[in-house]
Amino acid sequence: MAGRARVKARGLCRSQEPSPLDPPLAASGNHPTMRENEASVSTNLLETVKEGISAGDWNACTLTQRGGKTWNNFLELGIHTREKLAHVKDCKTGSSGAPVKLVTNLFNVGLPRGWQLFQYHVTFNPELASKRLRIALLYNHNKFLKKAKVFDGAMLFLSEKLEEKVTKLSSETQKGTYVAITVTLISELPSSSPVCIQFFNIIFKKILRKLSMYQIGRNFYSPSDPVEIPQHKLSLWPGFAISVAQFENKLMFTANVTHKVLRNETVLDFMSGLYNRKDKSHFLETCEKELLGCIILTRYNNRTYRIDDIDWTVKPTDTFQKRDGTKITYSDYYKQQYDITLTDLNQPMLVSRLKNKQIDSGEVRIAHLVPELCFLTGLSKKVTSDFRLMKDLATETHLNPTRRQQRLSRLADNIQRNTEARFELETWGLQFGCQMSLTGRVVPSEKLLMQDTTCQPMSAADWSRDMRNCKLLEARPLNDWIIVCSHRNEDAAQCLLSCLRRVSSPMGFHMEKPKIIKVQENTAAFIRAIQQHVNPDTQLVMCVLPSNQKDCYDSIKKFLSLDRPIPSQCVLARTLNRHGMMMSIATKIAMQVVCKLGGELWAVEIPLKSLMVVGIDVSKQTCTKGYSAVGFVASSNSRITRWFSRCILQNTKTDIADCLKVCMKGALNKWYRYNHCFPTRIIVYRDGVGDGMLQTIVDYEVPQLLSSLRDPNSNYSPKVSVIVVRKTCIPRFFTEMNRTLQNPPLGTVIDSEATRPEWYDFYLISQSTHQGTVTPTYYNVIYDDNGLKPDHMQRLTYKLCHLYYNWPGLIKIPAPCQYAHKLTFLVGQSIHREPRMELADSLFYL
Amino acid sequence: MGRSSSSGEGRQAPRGVSTLIGILGLSKSRTRSAATSRALPSLQPRESWSRRGNLSDVMVDSDVQRVQVKENIKFTPSLSEQRHKFVLDFVRKHKPQKVADLGCANCKLLWRLKYHESIEVLAGLDIDENILTRNIYRLHTGAGDYLDPRERPLTITLYHGSVVEKDPCLLGFDLITCIELIEHLEAKELAQFPEVLFGFFSPTTVIISTPNFEFNPLFSGKTLFRHPDHKFEWDRTQFQSWASEAARNYGYSVEFTGLGEPPPGAEAVGFCTQIGIFMKNKPNIQPLHNEKTIECTHTTVGTVIYPSLKEEKYLRKAVSNEVFSQILKMKRVLLESLKMKNDSDSGDELEFVKPKYNESKNDPFEETPKPFCIENVFYVPLERLFSFPKIKHLCGDLETLKMLIADEVTLSSDGSSVMINIVDEEDCDLSDNDGDDL
Repeated sequence: MAGRARVKARGLCRSQEPSPLDPPLAASGNHPTMRENEASVSTNLLETVKEGISAGDWNACTLTQRGGKTWNNFLELGIHTREKLAHVKDCKTGSSGAPVKLVTNLFNVGLPRGWQLFQYHVTFNPELASKRLRIALLYNHNKFLKKAKVFDGAMLFLSEKLEEKVTKLSSETQKGTYVAITVTLISELPSSSPVCIQFFNIIFKKILRKLSMYQIGRNFYSPSDPVEIPQHKLSLWPGFAISVAQFENKLMFTANVTHKVLRNETVLDFMSGLYNRKDKSHFLETCEKELLGCIILTRYNNRTYRIDDIDWTVKPTDTFQKRDGTKITYSDYYKQQYDITLTDLNQPMLVSRLKNKQIDSGEVRIAHLVPELCFLTGLSKKVTSDFRLMKDLATETHLNPTRRQQRLSRLADNIQRNTEARFELETWGLQFGCQMSLTGRVVPSEKLLMQDTTCQPMSAADWSRDMRNCKLLEARPLNDWIIVCSHRNEDAAQCLLSCLRRVSSPMGFHMEKPKIIKVQENTAAFIRAIQQHVNPDTQLVMCVLPSNQKDCYDSIKKFLSLDRPIPSQCVLARTLNRHGMMMSIATKIAMQVVCKLGGELWAVEIPLKSLMVVGIDVSKQTCTKGYSAVGFVASSNSRITRWFSRCILQNTKTDIADCLKVCMKGALNKWYRYNHCFPTRIIVYRDGVGDGMLQTIVDYEVPQLLSSLRDPNSNYSPKVSVIVVRKTCIPRFFTEMNRTLQNPPLGTVIDSEATRPEWYDFYLISQSTHQGTVTPTYYNVIYDDNGLKPDHMQRLTYKLCHLYYNWPGLIKIPAPCQYAHKLTFLVGQSIHREPRMELADSLFYL
Repeated sequence: MGRSSSSGEGRQAPRGVSTLIGILGLSKSRTRSAATSRALPSLQPRESWSRRGNLSDVMVDSDVQRVQVKENIKFTPSLSEQRHKFVLDFVRKHKPQKVADLGCANCKLLWRLKYHESIEVLAGLDIDENILTRNIYRLHTGAGDYLDPRERPLTITLYHGSVVEKDPCLLGFDLITCIELIEHLEAKELAQFPEVLFGFFSPTTVIISTPNFEFNPLFSGKTLFRHPDHKFEWDRTQFQSWASEAARNYGYSVEFTGLGEPPPGAEAVGFCTQIGIFMKNKPNIQPLHNEKTIECTHTTVGTVIYPSLKEEKYLRKAVSNEVFSQILKMKRVLLESLKMKNDSDSGDELEFVKPKYNESKNDPFEETPKPFCIENVFYVPLERLFSFPKIKHLCGDLETLKMLIADEVTLSSDGSSVMINIVDEEDCDLSDNDGDDL
């Protein structure tokens, strides 16, 4: 969350008016008009003009957006993968399962028949650098006065066609300069064209602004009815993430409830909080450690800055030079400019490096900011690790379907009632329609295959009870293992051991007595003990950690994944102090240990024989900057219960396709060793796809994967499918049960209406939530020569969501993806290097 | 009439000669002077200037003839900035509640004014609707305004209309500013203006600024006026006689001052900008006009309402935030002292502990009851909380404090203290934990 919050905060920064940023500059006036650099826009447009009238080809133009990102990335328009898949060209919907009525967060947007948008290119002679001035000059013309129009300084959109293809106008600036304006028609766009979609998004943003909502990044918030969490100094602004997109056959407006978390804490509050701690010796260091890199919001002008440094030598009583050359103290400046009296004249100054608008000029501009006037934004890592805070936050942010629906209807109501909003819609001929409902299907539930029984769980969300008296599929005996614990936690370790022995025999898991080693409470002592006591036959090292200090955990994992590859299990001493729950904790640990030793817990029925499933995840959260961890996990038996894994750290700049080849080779060899043949079908689930990355995957990754499988020297050529998995998506689905809206049942598949026409895609709800509304997982089959029917593809995906051994229940993504995620997390957070291949056969990363 | 144009001058001053010449040079192509002379037939025989032709060659009046201006005059800070500062200083001194800016154009003065706590109503009026819609963003609220709301309410409204229309929306103001406005008025409008401004709007104070024509020869430009849209520019006598007459007619007293000192040797020309400050002789006892009976002619371009502590929801929020942060601070001190105690006497069970604060000798809180601890519950007396200056300031009295925080905290049974648990609750629910190393 910290990362996302930060990104959001940056979005806020970009969406601000580009005007002088630092106090010295702001002092001599805001006249951003004459200085804006719009070079990027004009170059873009020159190309467009050369191409002449286009039919609205996506690449022909991109509107520049507030917020910097183009919609191309966000909506991934113009990628057509379905047309190449012959078996789903006509129909991509399945038919099995019980139908279920669903309500969505999608709203129809109606357009008159034959609606068109007229796109004009506008040039000014002499050229005007200021976008503001260009807009002002054009809008002053009577021709455009009462017309529906959108103009970004270069591109003009009208709902009605001008009489002439080229219209010549002239204007005079306030300074008396004559400017010739040429308005040239470049295309007439049908409503389904990508430019139009982008255009509709702009219109709806405008409408939400009319509803006095406040735009931060891409989302809109209502600051006037905030939710306060004073015990954590947080304010929540309720809001919406909105977009307009072309769904199966209709244009739809989608709205998702979001919240903006703001902190009611200034940097000065935060600093004095740190200072008032008992231990003052490391105050400066802690301060810098906690604050550098944070995004702050200035109270007086609502801009955001990043803290790059703290200058302890400068005080508010020191002077700086304003842009007009005069000198003034910081405190006088704030008094004069903003009528703010600083209360603490001894506070240090925050230093922020400003982004240079002119990229070529190498000078670094710096702003000094007063901590008292800066609010912290976003949630720091420390905050997100505060369990109670996150719980309090969740109760406010995770809305159940009923409350979510209330907010949605209120928004729809506002859009329809607000006169200004309605006017905006009407001038363009748009109609805001009703909420879409559709029919999904609930696929049949799965039976679990255990050692000598099959079991039909009561609830697919959690089958730990159902499994209680069943033997695990395969558990290797644990003969040689050690437990390392501190002197203080010896009792806890003993207690855990006795519980483990009690729960393991019904599972069919044989466990010998371990060697218990007691050490001092420090990381070095733990490592030394492990070093001394492991031998080549040691199967497992279990550590009872005195606290959840990350470095201790990291060092143990590092040592046991890199230096001495042995599966390890860490348990927090605190967890073992919860007496009432010891048995269930021990059960979980026992199962985890079985997995780490290479055992299998349960299986589901997989009708396809000789099928290998692969999960890929990419995590950028590694400690080394510029590197990302690519996790690759492939099944190595046809029951899909054993997994081969590779994790490769690589430069973010290089394509991940290269390492996929290596991983794939390894997985195939492993499969061959266990099965004495190669798999005939391979299905790859690709997770960790960011916004706008789809094109790269279609163009580079898929061909690379295929080339590693299609060796021209052998006649081995498996059938391959590649499916992009997305945990976040726009639509939400609710079902009405007992007169209230609820989350749809587990196993609900939606493959019509809310899907996109150009893709072979579907939504699957495979996880239950205790709180809030379930986010469906979105699957997009971008390559498929397996030729499975959509029904089978959906069911296979659902089955794979049952196979994550760290949780006795369904999870939101297919198990191989979750394993890959776990692997990259461990490598990225703790090990920072590629783990030893000796461990590749076990789920050591659980 | 839009003072948008005044920003032209504001900009040129610090930016140096080339810009100014550019601006003035370009405007030469426009023949506004004809309109101007039409506008002010009676006021000034300005032929004397035009006869001299090229202004750059002009030597200033006889007594300052030695000062030949080769370099253009620059002001630091810029003149427009100085004018704004002048108004702001005035506001700081007189603390008006309702302020209007006529010809507000790019809304920059309004933007500066909105930071002043004394102001509760701000209005801007301009004839150019476009410039208002483009600049209203400057006045919008931001996240900071919600996180740390103003003490007093503030409503900013922008009106589109002419300054010579008698619109009731500008009635009852404490201060109306007309910064570099009147020189943009046509003769007819100028004639009506005093009646509308002083007679109808009748604010307590008025600030009017306009260029001083006598200063113009010191500029190296070649045009008659400083800006092509100026219909006239007055010397000191002209302005002062106009202003004095208006003041006399409508019961105001007027003082004159100015901004932008002339260079040494040319002191006789006076300030670059001349300013008249008008004060009403008798304050309005009752409204002169019944607002409802007069027809509105101005259209509202936009209204921005700022959150303020006068609204209960924001006050509640501000108080509970402050209360929580003080309680948490005390709790931390308590826990630290407990921990130190624990470490020293090897963990006795705590039954009743009165924490010792490391308070300085002259602690303002000494008089108030101290927080205390019974078993695992920490009690902070409301009186103690109320002794914090910020909380006192926000609430006013103890009862208000109690009322405001009642929903956010748990009060002790007698309602005199806030109760808070010092031992963290069970901090992890196993079912939430998706496996992991436990």
